Amino acid sequence: MPSTPPPAPTPTPTPAADAEKRASFEREALVHLDSLYRVALRLTGNPAEADDLVQETMLKAYRAWHQYEKGTNAKGWLLTILRHAFINEYRRRTRHPETVDLDAIEPFSVFEELQDDDPQGTFFDRIVDDEVLRAIDELPEQFRETVVLSDVEGLSYEEIARVLEVPVGTVKSRLFRARRMLQGKLYDYAVGMGYIKGNAT
Amino acid sequence: MNCRECTEHLYEYLDRELTPQVEQEIRQHLADCPPCGEHFDFERLFLDFLRARCRAQGAPSELKLRILRELFDE
Repeated sequence: MPSTPPPAPTPTPTPAADAEKRASFEREALVHLDSLYRVALRLTGNPAEADDLVQETMLKAYRAWHQYEKGTNAKGWLLTILRHAFINEYRRRTRHPETVDLDAIEPFSVFEELQDDDPQGTFFDRIVDDEVLRAIDELPEQFRETVVLSDVEGLSYEEIARVLEVPVGTVKSRLFRARRMLQGKLYDYAVGMGYIKGNAT
Repeated sequence: MNCRECTEHLYEYLDRELTPQVEQEIRQHLADCPPCGEHFDFERLFLDFLRARCRAQGAPSELKLRILRELFDE
């Protein structure tokens, strides 16, 4: 560590104000680092890009920390920043937004398919983490981000609607389709691996 | 509540997004209707499975150090 003091980042902050800002940021924002990373990884599909996206998100959040109302939903606030950064700067370089008509996708009921074979869904136990993450990564982006915010990060419909800037009804319908698509992918995988018999198609 | 109405609320029920009154009506239907009960159990198992498989991963420790350095040491 050099002995010279660090340059002041914002207009004339007092050392006490700086220390307070840092403490509140660590307490309310940095605790969500794992969540931000998981979401970034699913959005970008690439660990190096996810690192950069999360770092940029934290930097933007720290600069804008005075705008965050302390004690409210920091996780949602951070995820909104992360998603905007992703859309503006990363999506162009990594994945492309889908042009498919998502409403035209007919959800398939795995539960009904399993009736003669594995109605309790015990085949899930044999599917490892990487396979599940791969199936999520194959979902269309709008479904992927909804399922990650709900099923991985545990946000409520209302919180997801705020982060994605869509109505709650849209969150519900995306979540329904995303989960059914995911079940379909994992079912196909389990049939392919011979974990379940599957019906002839 | 009939089976179709119950199934329409499937994920809202499992995600705890319903009012206590509708939640209670569904719980009652599930208790009275084994096929719906099995379907809901399957979907709950699926959501638990998803959560368990996806939450293991966290941010790499180097990333945390990189961010701390960038925010506070420069």
